[in-house]
Amino acid sequence: MKTIFLVDDSATILLSISGVLSKAGYAVEKAPSALDALKTFQAGIKVDLLITDLNMPGMNGIDFIKEVRKLPAYRFLPILFLTTESQQSKKAEAKAAGASGWIVKPASAEELLNTIKLVIR
Amino acid sequence: MDEITSVFVTESREQIAALESALLQLENSPGDDDTLNAIFRSAHTIKGGAGVIECSYIVAFTHVVENVLDRLREHAINADADLIALLLGCADHIGNLLGVLESGAPGPDAELAADGAALLARLQRDWLSDGGRGTGLPSVPPVLLEASGGGAVESDCWHISVRFGADVLRNGMDPLSFLRYLGSIGRIVHLETIADAMPEAAEMDPETCYLGFEISFASGADKAAIERVFDFVRDECTLNILPPHSRLSDFIALISTLPEDSMRLGEILVRIGALTQDELEDGLRQQTAAPAGGVESGEVPAAAPQPIGEILVERKVVQAELVDAAVARQKQVTEKKAAEARLIRIQADKLDRLIDLVGELVIAGASVNLLAGRTGVGELIEATSLTGRLVESIRDAALQLRMVQIGETFNRFHRVVRDTSREMGKEIELSISGGDTELDKSMVEKIGDPLMHLVRNAMDHGLELPAAREASGKPARGRLELNAFHDSGSIVIEVADDGAGLNRERILAKAVERGLAQPGQSLSDAEVYNLIFEPGFSTAEKVTNISGRGVGMDVVRRNIQGLRGSVDVSSEPGKGSRFAIRLPLTLAIIDGFLVGVGNAAYVIPLDSVVECIELDQDGGARDYVNLRGEVLPLVRLRQLFDIQGEPPARQNVVVVQYAGIKSGIVVDQLMGEFQTVIKPLGNLFRNIRGIGGSTILGSGEVALILDVQALVQRCASREAQRADGADAGRAFLAAAVP
Repeated sequence: MKTIFLVDDSATILLSISGVLSKAGYAVEKAPSALDALKTFQAGIKVDLLITDLNMPGMNGIDFIKEVRKLPAYRFLPILFLTTESQQSKKAEAKAAGASGWIVKPASAEELLNTIKLVIR
Repeated sequence: MDEITSVFVTESREQIAALESALLQLENSPGDDDTLNAIFRSAHTIKGGAGVIECSYIVAFTHVVENVLDRLREHAINADADLIALLLGCADHIGNLLGVLESGAPGPDAELAADGAALLARLQRDWLSDGGRGTGLPSVPPVLLEASGGGAVESDCWHISVRFGADVLRNGMDPLSFLRYLGSIGRIVHLETIADAMPEAAEMDPETCYLGFEISFASGADKAAIERVFDFVRDECTLNILPPHSRLSDFIALISTLPEDSMRLGEILVRIGALTQDELEDGLRQQTAAPAGGVESGEVPAAAPQPIGEILVERKVVQAELVDAAVARQKQVTEKKAAEARLIRIQADKLDRLIDLVGELVIAGASVNLLAGRTGVGELIEATSLTGRLVESIRDAALQLRMVQIGETFNRFHRVVRDTSREMGKEIELSISGGDTELDKSMVEKIGDPLMHLVRNAMDHGLELPAAREASGKPARGRLELNAFHDSGSIVIEVADDGAGLNRERILAKAVERGLAQPGQSLSDAEVYNLIFEPGFSTAEKVTNISGRGVGMDVVRRNIQGLRGSVDVSSEPGKGSRFAIRLPLTLAIIDGFLVGVGNAAYVIPLDSVVECIELDQDGGARDYVNLRGEVLPLVRLRQLFDIQGEPPARQNVVVVQYAGIKSGIVVDQLMGEFQTVIKPLGNLFRNIRGIGGSTILGSGEVALILDVQALVQRCASREAQRADGADAGRAFLAAAVP
């Protein structure tokens, strides 16, 4: 079973996305902030995909992606970030930080799963 | 309401509170980026959540607000007082919309919808109209397919030519997953891997991607859908997509723009069926005749990703160090903030259940303790006392879970004070202290209304207009204080202003008029001031919007008494007034002090116990004792509760304190500290003054918990009762049973 790690400060988003993912047969790990998530990554959790929000209090998503990419175990980890139509400018910045791709919120379950299939088998 | 919706509503209410306080902060420091970002983030989170639960009316409204906030964040517009007021209005409206969602209605009613439309219209007209981002999504130019004119190739397959960027693997993307995904929207008829960029094995960097693909693809999907597959790598890869039956010249142009050898590429295209041999020869001939592509056929030097890759890696290392340093510095700041955000949401029911269980554990523990004591086995007693200490720690930890800081409640008043002061033309500065004082969550929820009433009263009746203040030699800006602290087992919340103070004469006159006091009756200042809490008392000469709407201070007092608390007022003419609300620390389990009178046991909350002394033999009849030169009034429980039997030769006095006043409670025996699980009294007994609740002892017997506040106040007012000639103790009990 593939494990997907989800980071978002919004409990609503965490709950809804993890619901879709679990139903689709993925194991889901969640964290409400980048700093919490980073600790888990530093501890060496085994995941197949990381999905993170960009705009979060504390550490933002872009710094978080940079930090994760610095950890040797996650150099090739697919990382998707959550963004919206109004945040197009963030895409380049997040890509430069090491993100693999993005998911535009709000996404239907189908769009979400299709995007995930694009980055993990 | 389903779980997600309920999480969304709770979360959004928090976001609205955060939004409000950030907006108010913005008023003091306009243009502060952190604040602007926090504001934007709050609106953004609400909109995101609303999108997830498909609440279209919240999405639609918040979307426009977010657009304005985005412009604000980018400093395209400035946050002046008008905009902040408008945005505060928008925050209120979102709160109302959440109410609609909670109520389960399909959408806002006409009135609310009109309010929303009015707010949106103002946002659009004043803050979005000058060619800003507007509300629409960025328009994507339509992808035009070149009409296949003369010279179209025969193949009815799409042709996809892709060269992946060197960093694709390092960004967590696997080229293979793109190809697989492509396979899910059509059929890959033929695929050729282009590995020309691959260097010698010794020079190859296994982390760099050197591959490209020429793909012949049969699919009913449109160009945009195929392009979307490569969306994530679009910027760093070279991608060319030619629709079926494209013109030959397009293929030739493609061949000439690619870095590989044209001849070889042409052959590949023929091999995968994109072109026929004839078409290729034809095309190349055309190209040589008129080099429209701008690139000569023949040897084109292959791209050299290796050295660039090395440089990139080098440069990356340098960057990484810089980033490291910056991150380390930021960490110190952000770690503190994140500690505040590290919260777990738990349903209140679960906590209550835990506390109930801990209560049962405490009672069961007391029973075990008692039985162990009877055996006289030292080791068993030792072991049970250790368990007892642990249970005590568990009790404290469990109760702590229900505690929240009052700061959040206090912060609501920034907005109230700001709005009200403008409305009344007063200048008011709100100062808050003790926001970290903790009290029970249920109490925090219920204290909001009385507190609001006191704050509004202070602003309306207490603080004067700037001109009047200056005339009396005070700064024009009035000061309102909210303060919270712990005091001998209670939590004290104060609302103080530096206004005109209470008017003794006017209160007294009003009280006489309303029959609350007798003309000519001599009353202390405190007694006069406390008359304002009597039902039917209101001195406001005109009914304003803010207060004086018939809901008087008596309601405030009743609400606070409902929480087993009390409210007092002190005032000094010209200097201001101070309302102090006292609330019990917790509602569920307390440390008690067990005392015995006759055969009955009573519990006195330990927090209110100051000391215990022995009652002198000769002091048997008096109602007071001399406590180191102080007069200590006594309450005799035996007399108060009409307990039969003779008092023992030796009686004890437990000295208790409430709100700075001391009294002595006379009991037979002192039985020591006792963890007390408060069990509410039945309806019939709930109004008995002097008793706050009951608890179960280790032996299974019931003990009553004394209400120290009532007992102390009884002592204080005994003189007055005496004046009426009634027997103090009986009058007290008679008054207690309605």
